[in-house]
Amino acid sequence: MSSPLSSEVTADLRAIVGERWVITDPVRLLAYESDALTSYRRAPGAVVFPVDTDEVSQVMVRLAQAGVPVVPRGAGTGLSGGAIAGPGAVIVATPRMNRIVHLDRESRLALLQPGVINADLTEAARPHGLFYAPDPSSQSACTIGGNVAENSGGPHCLKYGVTSRYVTGLTVVRYDGEVLRLGGLGRDAVGYDLMGVFVGSEGCFGIATEIEVQLLPIPPATRTLLAMFDRLEDAGEAVSAIVARGLLPAALEIIDRETIQAVEASIFAAGYPVDVEAALVIEFDGIEAGLDSEAEEAEGCCWERGARDVRRARSEKERLGLWQGRKNAFGAFGRVAPDLFVQDATVPRTRLPEVLRSIREIGHRYGLRVANVFHAGDGNLHPNILFDRSDEEELARVEQASREIMAVCVEAGGTITGEHGVGLDKRAYMRLVHSPDVLEVMRATKKAFDPWGGMNPGKVLP
Amino acid sequence: MNALAAVLSERLPEGQVVEGFRAEQWAVCDRVPQAVVFPESEAEVAEVLRLASQEGWTVVPAGKGTWLHGGHPPGAVDIVLSIVRMDRITLYEPGDLTVTAEGGIGLDLLARRCDDHRQWLPLDPPGPRKGTLAATVSTASSGPLAYHHGSPKDHVLGVSLVTGDGRVLELGGRVVKNVAGFDVLKLAIGSWGTLGVLTSITTRLHPQPPADRTVLFRGEAAELVALARAIATVPAPLAALEMLLPGERERSGGPVPLLAVRILEASEATDEICRIVTDTAGAAAFRQLDGRASADLFGNVEALESGAELVVRLRLLPSQLETVCQHADELRELADPDEGWGTRLGAHVQSGALRVIMSRMARGEGWIDRAAEVIERVRRGLEAEGGSLTLSRGPSELVSAVGAWGDAGSAAPLMSALKREFDPAGILSPGRLCFL
Repeated sequence: MSSPLSSEVTADLRAIVGERWVITDPVRLLAYESDALTSYRRAPGAVVFPVDTDEVSQVMVRLAQAGVPVVPRGAGTGLSGGAIAGPGAVIVATPRMNRIVHLDRESRLALLQPGVINADLTEAARPHGLFYAPDPSSQSACTIGGNVAENSGGPHCLKYGVTSRYVTGLTVVRYDGEVLRLGGLGRDAVGYDLMGVFVGSEGCFGIATEIEVQLLPIPPATRTLLAMFDRLEDAGEAVSAIVARGLLPAALEIIDRETIQAVEASIFAAGYPVDVEAALVIEFDGIEAGLDSEAEEAEGCCWERGARDVRRARSEKERLGLWQGRKNAFGAFGRVAPDLFVQDATVPRTRLPEVLRSIREIGHRYGLRVANVFHAGDGNLHPNILFDRSDEEELARVEQASREIMAVCVEAGGTITGEHGVGLDKRAYMRLVHSPDVLEVMRATKKAFDPWGGMNPGKVLP
Repeated sequence: MNALAAVLSERLPEGQVVEGFRAEQWAVCDRVPQAVVFPESEAEVAEVLRLASQEGWTVVPAGKGTWLHGGHPPGAVDIVLSIVRMDRITLYEPGDLTVTAEGGIGLDLLARRCDDHRQWLPLDPPGPRKGTLAATVSTASSGPLAYHHGSPKDHVLGVSLVTGDGRVLELGGRVVKNVAGFDVLKLAIGSWGTLGVLTSITTRLHPQPPADRTVLFRGEAAELVALARAIATVPAPLAALEMLLPGERERSGGPVPLLAVRILEASEATDEICRIVTDTAGAAAFRQLDGRASADLFGNVEALESGAELVVRLRLLPSQLETVCQHADELRELADPDEGWGTRLGAHVQSGALRVIMSRMARGEGWIDRAAEVIERVRRGLEAEGGSLTLSRGPSELVSAVGAWGDAGSAAPLMSALKREFDPAGILSPGRLCFL
């Protein structure tokens, strides 16, 4: 049961943003009780929808005065429980802040509000021959503000890099309502890279209310391949071989047998053979000249590593077909098991084959179904454990297996999360990768931005 | 031996402490240190810093000394701590396209090792190639390649940073995607030795491009600006787009104003991009350089600042290239009309940055004050338009007067709080970041 804010604070918030833009009705608040990782559920005390930097600042001033913690939230598509608030806290949500303020074709930059949806930005840039590179799987729903908070990745980050590569300037509102302007493409940095450290701070430092991003020219051509393997490790080795050749595909994605079977049994069936152990999606993009020879070279790497079959898309329709299994994997899992434990560890690319073997072995040992679908080129694994939460004994096995998988990845020189963030979900694993001194420095950095401790408390740090 | 050097000599192995006249070449912006130390391990770096924190000795971290005269002069320099002896590659896994090296490794040595595997780190900061990786990262320096390939913050995956009080922090990691907690690593990049000493750095590498080609266009400055703006918008990857205007006093019979378009792709793609560029230019290229010759030309771009007395970096948006050139012209009056090459301009067109590189400044009564006045006026003009002016190099007196950087504004208290966390005793390069 939500404990409502004092009626005084609520009235003041309504005076700032307008009557209908403060939600306190407990039934409506249920829509905000979780993000896309539904295992954590807590309804907030209220949700406020400001429209611009000035309103955000006023809202924050009022909440800080009342000592009410704030949780920023975009579309709620995060996968770490980062954008949920307890009953004593208020969500400041960005859907109304969805304006692209300015697009400079020549400087290839866009200034936008945080509630702009990732795919909408690329859509708006298209007439100018430009696009926004980071493309998380949720790009049709997730917001750029959320991407900044999580430093989001996506399948094409292998070539293009993650969100932090593209953010060039931020306007940030701190808990006390102070407005900071950080970075900016047209100027050199002065002092420490506060903008850089803000990206990926998961709402714990402040709210980004204006975001300047770099856009890229749309690559005129693509080549997409799908290679089938009888051993998952062979697919992993093909990835290493492609990279060792000096090729730089835009994407290198692996889908394992468990995932293929889930996809093929679902409405998203993509025509992948259900008896292969792994499918590897390889995509090249760029100008037309030379793309064919790159694709051929990559195809050669797959055959050398024992591919059973390699398909090449001959049209845009075929290309989307080859991607279909990868893009809809998460949707397909829903049909197979009621719950999904998504992991996000990253390992050095050359360690993929052995880490994949270990994950399979851990799955067997705990009697769990583990489906792998991941950004192989980046070494960013997504082992998904399929289970039923209502079975307490199984849940305990899932948690134990997850911890072991994390430990294997860290042992291989990797880290606990590559793109989903820590949020509530991975706090317990932070000590696996960071020393007490480093955690202390993170705590101090948080404190420098938010000495009041009002921003998204209880997240990220153990 | 002075007292400070004597104490350090007791703590460090023989041969790691230098003082007296041999410390003079390690002066930081005219400030000669009492001692220069050359630790050979992370533990020794930590030992020096712990001791300095206890004693209140100020320390300026250094590599080979390439950047000692860059940036804002620190207030006091008791010790220069050079990590030049820490230059080993500790982990290189070509298949991962990552390398971990000690901070004192020269960019040239690193490049040679990566050459063996046809890989490279696409960073081309101004200055000699022997400059260290740690110095490049610490100053966040980059050059013509930065627009397309990224600057140090985009390449560096992890570092070991020894803080002012001798804590060893492993920040980031060695994987290309990592969001495990707050990205504190970013603070260390570009911190100019005020937060710690970078003893180890892991960076991503790239496969070497099969072809390296530079297409050169010549013309007068105004023509080149228009051409640069047109070429900057072609829908093809350009590795670099540089406008180079030689100094007034080196033009007769010497270099001519140039626009250099560098393409680093597979050979078929290079031909195609080259065609797109010349079509857009609507004019034949003056020259085309391939392979070694292309790389050498950009080697010269890096060396453009060599021997300069004043280097000022102006920046606006790429679409404001004319305006930034006008501001640059306002600085020309500071050059000595009779000596040296005059004033060179070098623009990274795609990122809107323009370097004004002056051979020698005009002297005379009150020259520092006059120069400060001109530079401050240009800085105000650029800041009013959302841009910046950075004094990369200049006479210490001048840099002290105008500040290497502009104002940090309301972010300054936040930065001071961070500085205290990393360097509680305030011994690391105090005053280097003039706005703190």
